[in-house]
Amino acid sequence: MLTFLAKRTATLVAAVLLSSYAVFLIPYVTPGDPVRKIIRSRVAGDVVDESTVKALSDSLGLQDPLPVQYLRWLGDFFTGDMGLSHISRTPVADQVIPALGITLSLVIVALGTAVVVALPLGIIAALRQGGRTDKMITTITQSFIAMPEYWLAPLLVLVFALKLSLLPSAGWSTPASMVLPAATLALRPISFFTSAVRSGVIDALEAEHIPAARARGLSRTQTILHHVVPNGLVPLSTLFAVWFAGLLGGSVIVEVIFAIPGMGRLLYDAVINSDIPLAQGGVVLVVGLAVAITTLADFLHRILSPKVGGTLA
Amino acid sequence: MPELVIENLSVGGPGRTVLHGVSLTVRPGEFVALVGGSGSGKTMTARSVLQLLPPALGVQRGSVRLGGQEITTASETELNRLRGGRLGMLFQQPKKMFNPNRTIRKHLLEPLKLHGGLRGRAAEAKVLDLLAEVGFENPEWGARAYPHQLSGGMAQRAMTAMALAGQPEILLADEPTSALDKVLEQQVLELLDRERIQRGLGILYITHNLASVAAFADRVMVMQDGKIVESGTTESVLRNPQTGYTRKLLEASSLAPSGTLDTVGGQPDVLTLANVGKQFGSGRRRGRPALDDVSLTLKRGEILGVLGQSGSGKSTLARAIVGLETISGGTMSRALSPGAGDAPTAVQMVFQEPHDSFDPRMTLRASLEAPLRRGLDPVERSRRLGQVMEDVELDPALLERRPGDCSGGQLQRATIARALLMEPEVLICDEATSALDALTQRTILDLLQRLNRKRGLSLMVITHDMDVVRHMCQRVAVLYQGRLVELTDTHRFFADPQHPHSQDLVSAAIPCRGLHLKRMRAAASV
Repeated sequence: MLTFLAKRTATLVAAVLLSSYAVFLIPYVTPGDPVRKIIRSRVAGDVVDESTVKALSDSLGLQDPLPVQYLRWLGDFFTGDMGLSHISRTPVADQVIPALGITLSLVIVALGTAVVVALPLGIIAALRQGGRTDKMITTITQSFIAMPEYWLAPLLVLVFALKLSLLPSAGWSTPASMVLPAATLALRPISFFTSAVRSGVIDALEAEHIPAARARGLSRTQTILHHVVPNGLVPLSTLFAVWFAGLLGGSVIVEVIFAIPGMGRLLYDAVINSDIPLAQGGVVLVVGLAVAITTLADFLHRILSPKVGGTLA
Repeated sequence: MPELVIENLSVGGPGRTVLHGVSLTVRPGEFVALVGGSGSGKTMTARSVLQLLPPALGVQRGSVRLGGQEITTASETELNRLRGGRLGMLFQQPKKMFNPNRTIRKHLLEPLKLHGGLRGRAAEAKVLDLLAEVGFENPEWGARAYPHQLSGGMAQRAMTAMALAGQPEILLADEPTSALDKVLEQQVLELLDRERIQRGLGILYITHNLASVAAFADRVMVMQDGKIVESGTTESVLRNPQTGYTRKLLEASSLAPSGTLDTVGGQPDVLTLANVGKQFGSGRRRGRPALDDVSLTLKRGEILGVLGQSGSGKSTLARAIVGLETISGGTMSRALSPGAGDAPTAVQMVFQEPHDSFDPRMTLRASLEAPLRRGLDPVERSRRLGQVMEDVELDPALLERRPGDCSGGQLQRATIARALLMEPEVLICDEATSALDALTQRTILDLLQRLNRKRGLSLMVITHDMDVVRHMCQRVAVLYQGRLVELTDTHRFFADPQHPHSQDLVSAAIPCRGLHLKRMRAAASV
């Protein structure tokens, strides 16, 4: 387990370094003078004359080899200095970190809801495999896959905000304003989680150790609670992590429709406005967090399923 | 202690009956064996005692009583109290019978709590007691272990501990040792027998292995097609079988020694291994080598038996020879006859689990034809296929079936056919018959011997079954912890084994030893 931990952590660091290097190179590979772009993200005032550019370029070390510049940039980044936004002229960190907080809470609420809904549905469907309840649950949840967010979100707004006036149609001020976007985001994960729980539990039900548990005197209910459901939920941990990581940047459609100042929205704006420092800050944070979450899920999977880990207890 | 009485029991479902009026009794302190080929209804008998039948099946007629209490009509609550309590059960393939995500300790706590009302520290202490009782040298480690960390023998001991935790009066042992080698089988059965003597446990031992029956059982019931066709004391049934089926079972399990020892003397070597080594892992994770300095030769037309316990390196050796593993030391050469085709296909392998060695979605025809697709046109492929099917005595109609619709024996023949299609010089059989019941095993061994004689095929038979070796091999190689510790003629091996491990193997293989022990014990107790 320890070597696995070390290995996975090393992979994590490598992934973050590689992707951040690519992000660091953005000013160099996009059209325009990289030196001026970088100066603009480092100096508050507008710099026009060549001599100042030259002086700043020297003092910022922009003539150094790229790897040296990269390490300096990375060091600044992790000490909270992510530069200045090209558009708003305010520090990137001040925009990126609150945005990440908003998206995180949105994704946590959405995926939490998805798990709470999918668990009982998946378990019931599995226990009634092939029956009418199973077919109903499977058909309905599967149909969620075909409901794109840009279609579902306006529909929900139309019904719950405009017709029924129950919930706000946009914004991010009260807990109530979280309901519609979270519901929109939760719908497709519900369908994937339900089918994962269902097939996990069905596999666990058919495992050969189940009759053995019954032969020990466990009732059907005890067997299901102790041996079927816990084993059947293992695959969900991995799926959950994949969705979590994916939604960090993938909540953009929902954030744009509901005017939520989250990470997806921020990255979208940064790209539209060619705000390179803002995009850099957002991407590195999202990538770092996504990689960390999937790594955590790997650890969790090993703990839940010791055979995979091959650990000595 | 009460007795278990099964009376005129019929079990079936829509359109089929799997048990026809089965009657048997297991008295306290009695070791009763229920033998028969696969599909004879042995397992269903045990399962109907626990009322754990597959969903489609149910008791149609008859009764099962434990000390006067009727089980077939008992409520679910009563049954849950009986299962794992007064009625213990051991299963085949013990490793698969544990929840892979839970430690042995957690498994043992369940029956202790359900049937003994033990919790907390008392239960923890009992877990260690039970593990020690079934022969765990380090019960603390055993309790903390996950099922996959146990060997097959340890897993069966742990399962026995689990069954004993409920203080059973009757133990249903459903082929508890068929996944184990002879030495481990002997140990597990001795353990059960000790419980029988000490606590008056009644044992219903289900098996297809008559050698172990001879050593331990008081009475034997022979089952065929859901009926008990013969029953009596062990001695009378084994010495004087009344039905042809029992005779066939006996014949299949007592494989006669082979008499073809001198036919290969002057033949050339087809396979030479010199100082072959294999090391898994590297750096600090480097363990004991799986193969260590193994040298041996295989002659044309020879049948060489390779013996060893699980973990001895037998399978690694086989995989190395066919090229599924790279070797980390030594040399391996295939001195094949000129014109034997290209070397890579001249050594073929037959695997242990026939159901695992086919793609479940492909028909047998598609599976068998796949390796022929390079270079042969459809007509020629079809002709070759028809010919090998004849060689292995399979109905060509089976080619259109998928593996799921075939029996283990049929599939194992198909595996051999697949190997023969490559026109091999050497066929390596890695426990090729140990997943099959005694009768099927016999027919496969006969087939292999015929191919050996007819085609001059060299066979390397990897097995833990001493009877197979004695029956058909001319020479025996014994692997122990990755090293070749003995290589000698079969008759010399059985008469005078040299290495201590060989001596263990030979002595465990002689059923009479156990029988004598049991008689001596019986005499002592009178």
